Amino acid sequence: MSLRKTFTLVASCAALTGSGVFAEEITVSAWGGFFEETLKEVIYPGFTEETGITVRSIAQPADQAWLTQLTNAARAKKAPADLSLVADEVFVRGQSINLWANLNADNIPNTQTLLDGFTKTSDNGNLNAVGALSWFTTFVTNTDTVAEAPTSWADLWTRDWDGKLGLTSNANSGLMEATALTFFGSYDVMETREGLEKVIAKIAELKPQVQLWYRDEGQFQQSLEAGELVGGLYYHDVTMLSAMDGLPVVSTFPREGGILGDAYWIVPRDSKNIEAAEKFINYMIRPDVQAEMARNLGVAPVAKRDAMDLTDEEFASVGSSGTPIRSQTHIHLREGDWLSDKYLEMISQ
Amino acid sequence: MKRSLVPYLIGLFPLAMMVVFFLAPLAFMIVVSFYERDPLGFYKVSFVWDNYAKFFSSFYYTISMRSLWSASLGALVVVLLAFPAMYIIVDMHRRWQLFWVILLLSLMCLSEVIIGFAWLILFSESSGIPKFLGWVGLWENPRSLSPSFGAMLIGFITLGFSLVALMFYPQMAQRDRSIEEAALTLGTPPARVFYKVVLPNFTPAIVSSVATMFVYFLGVFVMPTMLGRPQDWNMTVIITDKAVGDANMPLGAALSVIMLLFTLLIIGGLMLASRKREASS
Repeated sequence: MSLRKTFTLVASCAALTGSGVFAEEITVSAWGGFFEETLKEVIYPGFTEETGITVRSIAQPADQAWLTQLTNAARAKKAPADLSLVADEVFVRGQSINLWANLNADNIPNTQTLLDGFTKTSDNGNLNAVGALSWFTTFVTNTDTVAEAPTSWADLWTRDWDGKLGLTSNANSGLMEATALTFFGSYDVMETREGLEKVIAKIAELKPQVQLWYRDEGQFQQSLEAGELVGGLYYHDVTMLSAMDGLPVVSTFPREGGILGDAYWIVPRDSKNIEAAEKFINYMIRPDVQAEMARNLGVAPVAKRDAMDLTDEEFASVGSSGTPIRSQTHIHLREGDWLSDKYLEMISQ
Repeated sequence: MKRSLVPYLIGLFPLAMMVVFFLAPLAFMIVVSFYERDPLGFYKVSFVWDNYAKFFSSFYYTISMRSLWSASLGALVVVLLAFPAMYIIVDMHRRWQLFWVILLLSLMCLSEVIIGFAWLILFSESSGIPKFLGWVGLWENPRSLSPSFGAMLIGFITLGFSLVALMFYPQMAQRDRSIEEAALTLGTPPARVFYKVVLPNFTPAIVSSVATMFVYFLGVFVMPTMLGRPQDWNMTVIITDKAVGDANMPLGAALSVIMLLFTLLIIGGLMLASRKREASS
């Protein structure tokens, strides 16, 4: 009797785990909130329709916190998701400890239409990540309280914001790079610690103007839309979509450029669904899907411009033609601990 | 033989609970605090004092002093408010007493985040108290009241109030009133009775609730980040930033161990002082 029960239990367990491997389902994680919801509602259904693979979409926390979870999971030989959307810096950190699975480039032929530099390989030539999207961080303002949109990052320092700016509390938001470019001529100043201290001291001048050093993006967005905050650093895509919904916000590309960040699809090393994941990546980078993402999410595509059917107007709305400001990932990786301490010290004193 | 074993076996139960839920994680934390930080990855198993050495930079030192200050101030204020409130409530009619106790109990089921958001809205210039004060003409140019130290402290008080009040409730409702009545019939004014009779009788309870609240507020995360300025962020916020944000588990663990030592020292001192006072009186 009890033996039979055990047998049934084992059999049903086997069926359950078996279904995870063979019945085609993959778990995909993306940054929680509007982003993950839109992907789930608008983009993923097309993939399921074409391939029969269902997508279970989960929300992931901010970059470094997610990397910590992935690392912990890998120590237990588990993958919390079959695919994840990660920023440049997280990709490099994860790659250095072999956190990512090796992908078969032959299964992802659509990389041909990708912009250069969006396939990442390890030192021995294995494909570890494929570009997913790019996003801009810009100077955003509330149009009810700020009549004249800013033109330069220097406006953060020179205009009177009534003490109602909102900036991120972490050092790698791109503000350091924008400051370096605007006030020190180039990123070179960031190569030494003395230079980084100068940049941080410059940002410290903003402190009387900053009401909120945010770590929760939702809090910033809500405050900006309500007029509690009059401006700050925020995502171009979400701000643009809010503005289209009639909210009094605008995103401006300063003349020094918007801050461009790249995101990649990675497969955690212990994922059991690598083949399905490759199909997924191949679908997500296809030019027509990239165009859909630009239209619905407001993010900049990673496929070549002429391969997509975006109109000039649509293309211009998700980016800018000027040279973008790039996060100096190598500096953030090299000086990570020191820099984050210095930055935190500056804002919390 | 069998009989004498039973008390030991019963004693094993709390010991096992302590080991599983408290001592084992604590031991792991102490071990990790000596590991070496690997900036690109996670940590390397080794034995280094680096993580502790970092604490003695002025920055972490300032933050810990700041946490101790806000937690102790919050604990004092919340007990100062809850004690007289409960003193009044227990003398009410039974029906009203029940009403207040149920209200306090239901306050406890609100999460920190909900309370934080509620205060955030109440403090905002577009929809809260400042807006109202501007509307009635009491504040000419209303501004948001948060983030600020005061806003954070009010968040602390909302969190702790019902907890402290309910800690006092049983003891206060069942107290022996004959001493107070004697004092009153002998002509002592009510206010004097409160200070000279009620308060001294409750000193141990007050001290232990201040200590409990102090420890509780040391570990609060949401209120400082939501309602406080960066200058008000406590050690819990910094530890989270380091451990989760920067994946620097060894430093996070070391800072936690130091905060634990601080807490033990302060509570030990507090308990010792109150015991001495009791012995001398």
